[in-house]
Amino acid sequence: MKTILQTIDLKMTYVIGKVPVNALRGVNLNVNEGEFVAIMGPSGCGKSTMLHILGGMLKPTSGSVIIDGEDLAKMSDGDRTEVRRRKIGFVFQKFNLFPTLSAEGNISLAEKIRMNGNRKNDFARRTEILRLLNLESRLHHKPLELSGGEQQRVAIARALVGHPAIVLADEPTGNLDSENSQIVLKMLQELNSKFGQTIIMITHSPEASAVAQRVVNMRDGQIVN
Amino acid sequence: MVGLSHGVLQEQGRRNSNVGAEILFTRPNNYGPGTSSVLSLPVQYSTKIAEVSGVAAVSPVGQYLKPSNQSFGMEMVEGIEMDSYQKVTSLKVTEGQPLVADDEVLVDPVYCRDKKVKLGDKIDLFGRSFRVAGVYQPEIGARIKIKLSVMQELLGSKERCSLIYVKCLATDPEEKVAENILAALPGNKILFTREIQGLYEKSLPVIDIFVNAVVVVALIISVLVIMLAMYTTITERTKEIGILKSLGASKFFIIAEIEKEALLISVLGVLLGYAVALTGRWLIIKNTSLIIDLEPKWLLYAAIVGLSSGLIGALYPALRVANQDPVKALSYE
Repeated sequence: MKTILQTIDLKMTYVIGKVPVNALRGVNLNVNEGEFVAIMGPSGCGKSTMLHILGGMLKPTSGSVIIDGEDLAKMSDGDRTEVRRRKIGFVFQKFNLFPTLSAEGNISLAEKIRMNGNRKNDFARRTEILRLLNLESRLHHKPLELSGGEQQRVAIARALVGHPAIVLADEPTGNLDSENSQIVLKMLQELNSKFGQTIIMITHSPEASAVAQRVVNMRDGQIVN
Repeated sequence: MVGLSHGVLQEQGRRNSNVGAEILFTRPNNYGPGTSSVLSLPVQYSTKIAEVSGVAAVSPVGQYLKPSNQSFGMEMVEGIEMDSYQKVTSLKVTEGQPLVADDEVLVDPVYCRDKKVKLGDKIDLFGRSFRVAGVYQPEIGARIKIKLSVMQELLGSKERCSLIYVKCLATDPEEKVAENILAALPGNKILFTREIQGLYEKSLPVIDIFVNAVVVVALIISVLVIMLAMYTTITERTKEIGILKSLGASKFFIIAEIEKEALLISVLGVLLGYAVALTGRWLIIKNTSLIIDLEPKWLLYAAIVGLSSGLIGALYPALRVANQDPVKALSYE
């Protein structure tokens, strides 16, 4: 199976005041296309830093991040943004929807950015995703009119428009009750199995990690299994 | 302010140049925009001017600029000799009757409309009550006219006037008649009424220096306020910019979106500004004797300044947030 993501000796050091803090200490990770990987670990172990680097939002201090053959670590900010636009979809713990836009508006805005005016919208895939996420009847509602679970489903739909190679989910169930958490996790699982969508999910929750095909544990900036 | 200064001067210049007489005779420095008319010219001069070769008729006129009866603005009152004034000008009483009694005034239709007065109504002038005896046309000189003898009495200037209108014989050139008048009464001032409008317009650049200074200060303050408003608005939306970045929006996309929004806000602001200006103009004209001329040129300038300051004001914060670290932007609360 094709490797869609590979990190080689990934290191990240922040300087807080005058004190260097090693957030990542040489992470080596391979993720295959269509894989659903959960990254677990205690707070401060470097999970979020790694997710931001994998998404091209941070540049590592050293090492490589190869996504679909392109090394993000060697790219400028503009080029990483371009890779993010084409290949990465983000799902956040706090949903991060635009409050003034409807669910439809949030999805369309992402579509506008991802398509960059060059490609035709894939209406069939979009319709199927909305049906799978059970959002068809909620599209004209604004985020404040939606439940937490519905907001997260809109955020997932937004992350999926434009066929991203990888969906990076940062604690997607962290702000949800257990019922909605189960719904969202089931939907992520279905997206993975039905569309072959590669998903890397950060979580604290063992229940959440249970839906993934593989669990990676981190501690002190390193992968420990 | 531009509309007000231009409007008042141009309107006054137009009315004074439309008077019908060819020559205006007065004291030096006693006529024109910005001068306060006083009754300083002996009325007897009109008799001497009437004897000058080429003069068909003369009419002494008193002009007095007084505070408007409304709380704001000034208005001109003219003292006229009814018979001689009608001989040298094109004035016709279209409603009511000419001035006969000492407590009567003539007004023009614009005054009737703006002040909501009609024949028989009372008007307070110089602390006395006057009755509207007639309405005249066309709009010439001051909008309110009383008898010259009454104005002289009220101002304590017996046998004095502000200026003398001179009607020339059709056979004699105005310039030649003017020379003859100055030869008979040297040391005075002659103006051709056809040049009065230009005289008022020539004074605009002088006023424009002051007006432009005020406009520049207002412009600088406006741009700073717009910049501050845009900066605050965009800073408050840092998290949204972070979301856009996480979706893969380029710096150009973010700047373009912010500029589009700034343009929309600026267009609405310009339209709102026009509405406020038109409403203000209507209220000022309705409640004062001031005239405001909203020239298309200045409306265009206002639009250009409004739109460009909105776009420029939004550009700095747009560049700033577009270059911001996406992780920091996303964690902004």
